[in-house]
Amino acid sequence: MKKSSAPKKRSSKRSRNFATDRKRRFWRVAGRVILVGLVILTGWVVYLDAVVTSRFEGRRFEVPSRVYARPLELYEGASVSISALKRELELSGYRLGDGSRRGTYSQSGNRFVISTRGFVFADGREPKRRLALSVSGDRVASLRVMKGSNDPVVRLEPAQIGGIYPAHKEDRVLVKLEDLPAALEPALLTVEDREFYQHVGVSPYAIARALWVNVQAGRVVQGGSTLTQQLVKNFYLTRDQTLIRKGNEALMSLLLELHYDKSDILETYLNEVYLGQAGTRSIHGFGLASQFYFGSSLGELSLDQVALLVGLVKGPSYYDPRRHPERALQRRNLVIDTMQDNGVIDNASAGKARAKPLGVAAKPSYSENRYPAYIDLVRRHLARDYKQDDLQSEGLRIFTTLNPVIQYAAEYAVANTLKRMDNGQGESSLESAMVVTSRDSGEVLALVGGRDPQYAGFNRAVDAQRPIGSLIKPFTYLTALRQPDRYTLISTIDDRKFALVFDDGRRWEPKNYGGDEHGEVPLHRALSHSYNLSAVRVGLDVGVDSVIETLQNLGMTDPVSEYPSMLLGAVPMSPVTVAALYQGLATSGFNTPLRTIREVTTAQGESLSRYSLAVDQVVDPSAVHLVQYAMQETMREGTGQSAYRTVPSALGLAGKTGTTDDGRDSWFAGFSGDLLAVTWVGRDDNGPTSLTGATGALPVWSNFMAQVPQHGFSPVVPDGVQYHWVNSERIALTDEHCANARYMPFITGSEPQQRVNCSGNMTRRLRGWFEGLFE
Amino acid sequence: MMLRQILIGGGLAASLVLAGCASPGGSIYVPASQSPDYDRAPAPPQTTESGSRVKKSEQPAETEVIDRDTAPRHQEQGESLSPAAASLMREASSLLAQGDPRGAVSKLERAQRISPRSAEIYYKLSEAYVALDQLGAAEQFTLKGLSLAGSNTGLQRAGWMLLADIRRATGNTAGADHAEARADAL
Repeated sequence: MKKSSAPKKRSSKRSRNFATDRKRRFWRVAGRVILVGLVILTGWVVYLDAVVTSRFEGRRFEVPSRVYARPLELYEGASVSISALKRELELSGYRLGDGSRRGTYSQSGNRFVISTRGFVFADGREPKRRLALSVSGDRVASLRVMKGSNDPVVRLEPAQIGGIYPAHKEDRVLVKLEDLPAALEPALLTVEDREFYQHVGVSPYAIARALWVNVQAGRVVQGGSTLTQQLVKNFYLTRDQTLIRKGNEALMSLLLELHYDKSDILETYLNEVYLGQAGTRSIHGFGLASQFYFGSSLGELSLDQVALLVGLVKGPSYYDPRRHPERALQRRNLVIDTMQDNGVIDNASAGKARAKPLGVAAKPSYSENRYPAYIDLVRRHLARDYKQDDLQSEGLRIFTTLNPVIQYAAEYAVANTLKRMDNGQGESSLESAMVVTSRDSGEVLALVGGRDPQYAGFNRAVDAQRPIGSLIKPFTYLTALRQPDRYTLISTIDDRKFALVFDDGRRWEPKNYGGDEHGEVPLHRALSHSYNLSAVRVGLDVGVDSVIETLQNLGMTDPVSEYPSMLLGAVPMSPVTVAALYQGLATSGFNTPLRTIREVTTAQGESLSRYSLAVDQVVDPSAVHLVQYAMQETMREGTGQSAYRTVPSALGLAGKTGTTDDGRDSWFAGFSGDLLAVTWVGRDDNGPTSLTGATGALPVWSNFMAQVPQHGFSPVVPDGVQYHWVNSERIALTDEHCANARYMPFITGSEPQQRVNCSGNMTRRLRGWFEGLFE
Repeated sequence: MMLRQILIGGGLAASLVLAGCASPGGSIYVPASQSPDYDRAPAPPQTTESGSRVKKSEQPAETEVIDRDTAPRHQEQGESLSPAAASLMREASSLLAQGDPRGAVSKLERAQRISPRSAEIYYKLSEAYVALDQLGAAEQFTLKGLSLAGSNTGLQRAGWMLLADIRRATGNTAGADHAEARADAL
């Protein structure tokens, strides 16, 4: 028994000990687990804290760069038509209204009243103003500042024409609390988080209330999330609905509240919240949503508009006011009701707000793909000085030189003229490109990359390298006219066939278009009528290398083949390169680098880089003046004269046609007093067409020029050039009243010495005899 | 520094006085003949031939007849400053006087876009670039201004004197002497 009892005793004692041991061990293990758990939790909290603070402290948002068109400058005499002014206003987000509310304008015939919003430019703030102006004859006839700072030149806000977005395509316009309309904060807090200023990040009361409401309703009708939790969810976490994620959300919300004050959290929320979608671009924050739905800045919104945006927080696609206006209206009114019930607004203003229609702009005032070819060139210019990362996230503001009205005219000219050509000639695969620059500043005002301007593919204006044909000729004659002892505008050129035999036995026989010869012709006519034989003879006489040197002086950087065929334009160039070279011809020998960007600033308006106007005299202005004469003659008597079927005769123009073999490339490059434009028409597969420069590219060019009010070309006679009445066939001075007399420019000393009468007979000997009589 | 003083006291002052009395004239402003249709309706075909292109039929065919109305254009004088550009130029002058040449350049570029064919603006840009110590750019803007001075001897003299000052500052004595001689010859 002993044996048996003892072990029993022992065993009961042992089991007691065992139980105590187990308990103790359990507590030890549990203690350790809790400790480890606490350590892990602490570690996790420390980690979350680091996540919360680092993202909140550092750059909170990746803000895309905004690309702006040039601002419209208004002053007495400014060139603008009534329709162009309305278009500019529309693009800058103005609405037709009473003209006294900010961002609206009123029109009565040719009179406008415009209330501007003001804008921070790099060179200072353009204040808010109310303007009264009238437009007459495509110019601002009178301008009066009715309210605001009185300046003779005022700028409208520039239209946004593009953005450079981060990979996730989030777009936003940052707002500050002080910029909010008065109704926004109370509306948002009443609807989304009434205890915002009381809770510590999570609100047990709100959760309990939501639970109660949901159980009563039998479905989820109310969320218990605070604004802080919503922000944390959007800002840091994925969208999965797991318990761990919920736990993290609560912890992070507490941490966020611990570190930052309420105003900081609210402002971040207002900029983070997702409020809509535009294609692949997501609309975040109230700042951008205001522009996206109403075309106005946030500060301008009325109570009903604020209520709609607040209502959208719950479900931007379900309540999308453009796709589901009725749902949106109901939701907006519910927000108004809630505000009224909670005493945020009085009954009268609630009733007034409820009575208003949704008032959403039919389409967003800015769509990102409006000018793909132009933005493409801007991006290339930006890539020289900026990293892609910075452009996508730093909220830079890029002020370009794009003139939306000129761009529209160029797009219209390309699309419309090509459509007509299709009808006439059955050539539906024709493509086109166009560049328009400001003649004296080199600013690129418009760029068309193809006949469908919305297509963001092959940018022909920049990337199509096509032989320029006769566009080369002005440079050949410029090279010759720089030698006034050998060449003047009336020098006789032999326009007869000839053959060149190279060392390897190959022969080259240039031909005129149409194959005929013109015999002896004066130089100015050889250029204005684009005779090939004359051009090659002159080019060979001055030397192909000299012509290349002229091109290089005017900014040609690509190597050019030294074969004589280059004299007929066997030199591939893009329309943008042609425009850069012609800039020198248009501005009397000054290289004016083409620019698409005026300035890049930070989001706050601080200047980062300026791309200033630059000029560089590279060719003697007097020789250029002579070439300009012949290029004007081209438009009046030569290959460009059909332009005047479309363009008013009063508009002085200068230009040059270009055609390559079998009409594969049809070019026109020319300028007025204000604008320089280059057009190309051809096929992408380099196939033949039935077009010449005069029947393909020129109609596009003239159609464009006819749409734009502008100054005619009339160059100032440079130092060292004198005009004389001459008979250009006889290479002699003649009398002004002779029917065949031309008033032509000569580099001083190169004018003819002999004189003929109207019939072309020498008069010098006769006059010499008379003069001798009186000596 | 030396150059700046010379400019402010000398040539530039002359050019600014002259700015007010540049003769009017300039290129003809022509309103648009077609209004772009912003709703993208097809444009009506334009077939009217310009009347001024009809040649006189009584002239013998073999003799070249020149249509004077459509002859290539030119003008003896540059264009006068528009009042809007002049006001921006005054603002630029005061910025320059306050020692803000960059601000002045911004204003002057706006003025240049309004009156791109007025010599005065380019002279003033030149002055701003002197203040920025970018004498190469200053010289080029003076040359551009000179190319638009035309027969206005006042503007020409101001330009040549400005050029002489800038060239002397860059050490181009021969160029400076030449420019000065041109100014004296006027």
